[in-house]
Amino acid sequence: MGIRWQKPIFKALAIGLFVFIVVGPLSSVVLWSVAIKWYWPHVLPQEIGLAYWKQALGLQRDWAIAAVSIWDAFKNSMIVSIVATVITMALAIPAAYALAKLRLPLKAVFLLLFLMPKVFPQQPIFVNLLPVFTRWGLAGTLPGVMLIHILVCLLFGTWISTSAFKAIPESLEEAARSVGATRWQAFWRILMPLAAPGLLVSTVFVFVTSLTEFTGTFFLGLPFVTTLPMLLYSASGYNMQFASVLALVLLVPSLLFMVLTERIFRPEHLGSLGR
Amino acid sequence: MPQVKLFDVTKRYGKVTAVDRLSLIIEDQEMVTFLGPSGCGKTTTLRCIAGFVVPDAGHIFIGDQDVTNIPPERRDIGFVFQNFALWPHMTVYQNLAFGLRLRKLPKREIKERVHDALALVRMTGLEDRFPRQLSGGQQQRVALARALVLRPRVLLLDEPLSNLDAKLREEMRFEIRELQRQLQITAVYVTHDQAEALVLSDRIVVLNHGRIEQIGTPQEIYQRPASQFVASFIGLCSFMEAHVVESSAERVLMRTEDGLVIETMSKGLSLGQAVTLALRPEFIDVSWTKPENSQNVFQAQLVRFAYLGENLDCWLKVGKWDVRVHLPASRVQKLDQQLWVRLNPEKIIVIPTEGVLL
Repeated sequence: MGIRWQKPIFKALAIGLFVFIVVGPLSSVVLWSVAIKWYWPHVLPQEIGLAYWKQALGLQRDWAIAAVSIWDAFKNSMIVSIVATVITMALAIPAAYALAKLRLPLKAVFLLLFLMPKVFPQQPIFVNLLPVFTRWGLAGTLPGVMLIHILVCLLFGTWISTSAFKAIPESLEEAARSVGATRWQAFWRILMPLAAPGLLVSTVFVFVTSLTEFTGTFFLGLPFVTTLPMLLYSASGYNMQFASVLALVLLVPSLLFMVLTERIFRPEHLGSLGR
Repeated sequence: MPQVKLFDVTKRYGKVTAVDRLSLIIEDQEMVTFLGPSGCGKTTTLRCIAGFVVPDAGHIFIGDQDVTNIPPERRDIGFVFQNFALWPHMTVYQNLAFGLRLRKLPKREIKERVHDALALVRMTGLEDRFPRQLSGGQQQRVALARALVLRPRVLLLDEPLSNLDAKLREEMRFEIRELQRQLQITAVYVTHDQAEALVLSDRIVVLNHGRIEQIGTPQEIYQRPASQFVASFIGLCSFMEAHVVESSAERVLMRTEDGLVIETMSKGLSLGQAVTLALRPEFIDVSWTKPENSQNVFQAQLVRFAYLGENLDCWLKVGKWDVRVHLPASRVQKLDQQLWVRLNPEKIIVIPTEGVLL
């Protein structure tokens, strides 16, 4: 009898917590992005307007408001993230297949090599990479930043993709071989469709990781390559309004990507995930 | 349809030898069962024939072709898996058509052959279902159809019924046997279920520790097991250790160490030879009063029984030996009851302890 009314209450509490954690900070960010004047002790902004948005989107140029056009940084971010995601997944998927399905003699070594950049603090690694990148002419260039993003993302991409392949029973591949499919055909026709949901999750994760990557870009990209997180960083210290605008802009590609991939999910893919 | 031949096939996993110099010829259109406990090498051997496992040594032939190093997709086999292994993202039709499409057959022929294969396993009309919409029995029927639709040279089945419930399992045994006969296909069937092996096989290969313990028809395996292992693995069996004390043209007498003298019919045994006597329950006559004819009659005591419905599964003490028999439930009164058993001399299985064939 007790459980009947406890369940909805628990559910309401859970939803409340979710709203508080996700929507709470977000609403404050939205408020900040339109606040022209907002001083203590006022609970809400005294004056609101779209001046910072207009400035950020390059629709106006007003020296009284400390904000710059974000289009260049946005363009950089998109190019870097898309290219880095494509290359990362192109490397991660075969690597994941090999790790999940093949008997590799040096599997442990390979995995360790993958983990290496993550077990050390990031900053010293990037600082030490700087002279190397400079020698190769990659420091402060888009390809250089892409390379750094790929290095950072490859671990996550491979990790999640590996579990996507591992979740597929061996016998499904063997069944394909027994009816005449080569290893290659079995990979494309059986394993890839079945791993697709997991690979998609992996792709989203890699994309978002690249989009918000900070440390590597900071050391190896600035001042010549500016991405959205760089702008956000430099704005966050002194300019809450501009930082809020940037934060919201950064959300857009992630949300778009989520919506897009959700449409690609087919029920039978999800069905195979839940198996 | 061709023979399948294995010559000295060996497969090791680390220090464990899963298959140990196994040689065997499976005849055309024959249904052979690999039977044995888990870890006996039966599945590994089957997977060697399929090509999923490459043996460390030895050769495998399908027909005249040495397939030892040929990948599975070029062996022209059909394989049925224990977990069905239907592709969950494809419908029944797509599952069956997959192999045919790889062979680039015309659409019409694919449709016909899928239809025929589904009719064969009585699954017509379920073409558009996804595997998850089917019951276990239906899934295994589709898996069977998928293996047969390509008309393979050899059908390999890896414990295909062990994921099904008991009743369905019994039905499917007959269906599989029927299909194999109808299609006249060479088939190898792996199981740890002796009843399945007895029903399904032309010949049974009993495996233990990666080696063949015995090859024979179900009757041969049951009536004349070559070793204690085979006798205990197939059917219920009780054992007594003894040695030969008289071996003449008329009779052969065995004596157990606790002094029971037992007459048997086995020939060619030398005096003093140590043997194991294997006793099937159905060849032991039990009476509640002392029989007139006292040949091979011993006193026994009922020490334990289990209710099986019509019959009781009874443990008797004969001398120091445990002997299992099945008795009608109505006739057993209480534990420690005194009984007499008569061991039919013609039916006692005598296994020389060195493991030499009779």
